[in-house]
Amino acid sequence: MLTVTDLSVNYGPVRALTSVSLTVPPGSVTAVIGANGAGKSTLMRTIAGLEKPAAGSITLNGEDLTGSRPEDIVRTGVALVPEGRSTIPDLTVEENLRLGGLWRSKARRNASEDRVFRLFPVLAERRSLRADTLSGGERQQLAIGRALMAGPQCLLLDEPSLGLAPKIVTQILELVSQLARETNLAVLLVEQNAVTALRVAHTGIVLHLGEIVKVGSAEDIRSDEELRHAYLGY
Amino acid sequence: MTNFIDYLLGGITSGAIIALMALALVLIWRSTRVVNFAQVGQAMFTTYVALSVRDVTGSWLLALIVAIVAGAILGMIVHLLVIRPVARADTSGVIIATFGVLIALQALAGMIWGGDSRGFPAPVDNAGIEFAGRIWPFSVYDVLVIVVTALLVIGLTIMFTRTNLGLSMRASAFNPEVARLSGVRVSRMLAFGWVLAGMVGAVAGVLIAPSATVSPNSFDILLVFAFTAAVIGGLDSLVGAVALGVGTGLVISLVSGFSDSSNAPVVALVLLALNLLLKPDGVFGHHKARTV
Repeated sequence: MLTVTDLSVNYGPVRALTSVSLTVPPGSVTAVIGANGAGKSTLMRTIAGLEKPAAGSITLNGEDLTGSRPEDIVRTGVALVPEGRSTIPDLTVEENLRLGGLWRSKARRNASEDRVFRLFPVLAERRSLRADTLSGGERQQLAIGRALMAGPQCLLLDEPSLGLAPKIVTQILELVSQLARETNLAVLLVEQNAVTALRVAHTGIVLHLGEIVKVGSAEDIRSDEELRHAYLGY
Repeated sequence: MTNFIDYLLGGITSGAIIALMALALVLIWRSTRVVNFAQVGQAMFTTYVALSVRDVTGSWLLALIVAIVAGAILGMIVHLLVIRPVARADTSGVIIATFGVLIALQALAGMIWGGDSRGFPAPVDNAGIEFAGRIWPFSVYDVLVIVVTALLVIGLTIMFTRTNLGLSMRASAFNPEVARLSGVRVSRMLAFGWVLAGMVGAVAGVLIAPSATVSPNSFDILLVFAFTAAVIGGLDSLVGAVALGVGTGLVISLVSGFSDSSNAPVVALVLLALNLLLKPDGVFGHHKARTV
C-alpha cells in the first residue's frame, strides 16, 4: 500500500501540488486524471524522488520514502515509468530490461525477466535489437518492463498513452491491470486521457490545479457528467 | 615509398598512445560532459611517480602498476575536490577548473621533481628492428606499447558491454534520470568515470615516456592530438577515440616526416576545424535528433 499524506510541492514560487492525500492499494489500478498542468506528473515525480516535497509524507507499507533519492526509492519497491517512453535508445532491449534491476540477485532478475517476457512477448522477440528500432507501443512496453525488473510492490505509470494509438494503449493497460490483480501489485496511473484510464482503473482521483477535487470508484467518475464537464473536458 | 612506410610505422605507436589519451577524455566526457584538460597533467604527474618507483626498485612493471593506482587516486581526488564542487555551482566553470588543475599539477611536479627533462628507460629494446637488410623504425618496445594498448581497449570494451558495472555506466551517461529511476547510483558512476580515465591516462603516460622525455610540460602537445582525435571521433564514442587516435598518430607522423615536426600541431588543428565545420557530431558520433 502506497500512502501519500498532505503532499505539497513547489516549483520555485509556484505551488504545483497542494495538500494531496491518496492511497494506492495493492492488487488494483488507481487512476489520477486531470487536465494538462493539473500537477499529475509532479505528483509522480515527487513520489519517485525526482522532486523534493515542501510538506507532507510518502510511505510504502509504513516505510517512509519522503525526500529519499530515486535510486533508493526504486530499491524499496516503488518504480516509476516516466512520461515519454523512458527507454534508452542506444541500449538493446535486453540491456534496457537488465538495467531495471541490477542490484537484485541473479535468480530474482531472471524470474522478473521471464515474467516481463510472458507479459510482453514482443520484447523477447526483439531482445537483441536496439531500443530505437522499436515502435512506440513496443517502447512503452519496454519502459514498463524495465520498471517491473525492479520487482516493485508499487508501479507508477506517467501518461502511458502519450503519442500512442488508443487501441494499443488499451491493450497495454489491460495487461497491466491484469498483472496488478494476479501479482498483488499496486498501480498508480496518471492520465490526461480519462476515458482510457477509467476503463482499466478501479479507483479514480480527479486532480485540478494541484488539488484533489474528487475521489471515487472509476464507475462513479465516469458517470458523473458534471464532473466530466468541469474538469475533464468531455 | 620507403619513406612513406617508415613514417607510417613510426606513427602507429604514437597513435596508440594518443588513442589511450583520447579514450581517457571520452570516458569523462561521456559521464560528466566535461573535456578534462587536466588529463595530460594527471598523466604527467603519475609518470613522475612511476619514474620514482622505477629509480628505487628498478622494475618497469611495478612502476606501471603504481602509476595506474596513482592515476585512479588522482582522478578521484580531482573529481571530489575540484570538479564536483565547481559543477554544483556552475557548469561552464568546470572546464576552466580543469585548466586550473593542469597548471597546479605542473607547478607541483616542478616543485617535487624539478623542471629538468628526464629520460624514462624502456623495459625492452627501443631501437629499430633490423630486418631484410635494413633498420626499420619499429622496435620491440613499440610492439609492447601496441599490445598493452590493445589489451586495455579490449578490457574496457568487455567491461562496458558485458558487465553490470559497464551497463550502469553507459546508462548513466546516456540518460542519468532513467538510470537513477532504475536504481543506478549515478553519482558513483560519475566518480568511477574519473577514476577509470585517470588509470587509462596513467598507462598512456608511462608508455609514451621512453619515446619522449618527462618534464612538467612535456605531455602538453599530447593533449592537442588527443583532443583532436576525441572530438573528430565524436567525443561519445570509445571506438571513435581509438580509431581516430591511431589515425591522428599516422597523420602527424607523415606530416612530421615529409615536412617538419613543428607543423604537426597545426595540421591537427586544421583537421579539427574542418571536422567541426563539416561534421560537428564527429565521425563516430551519432546525431542527437533521434532521442524523442
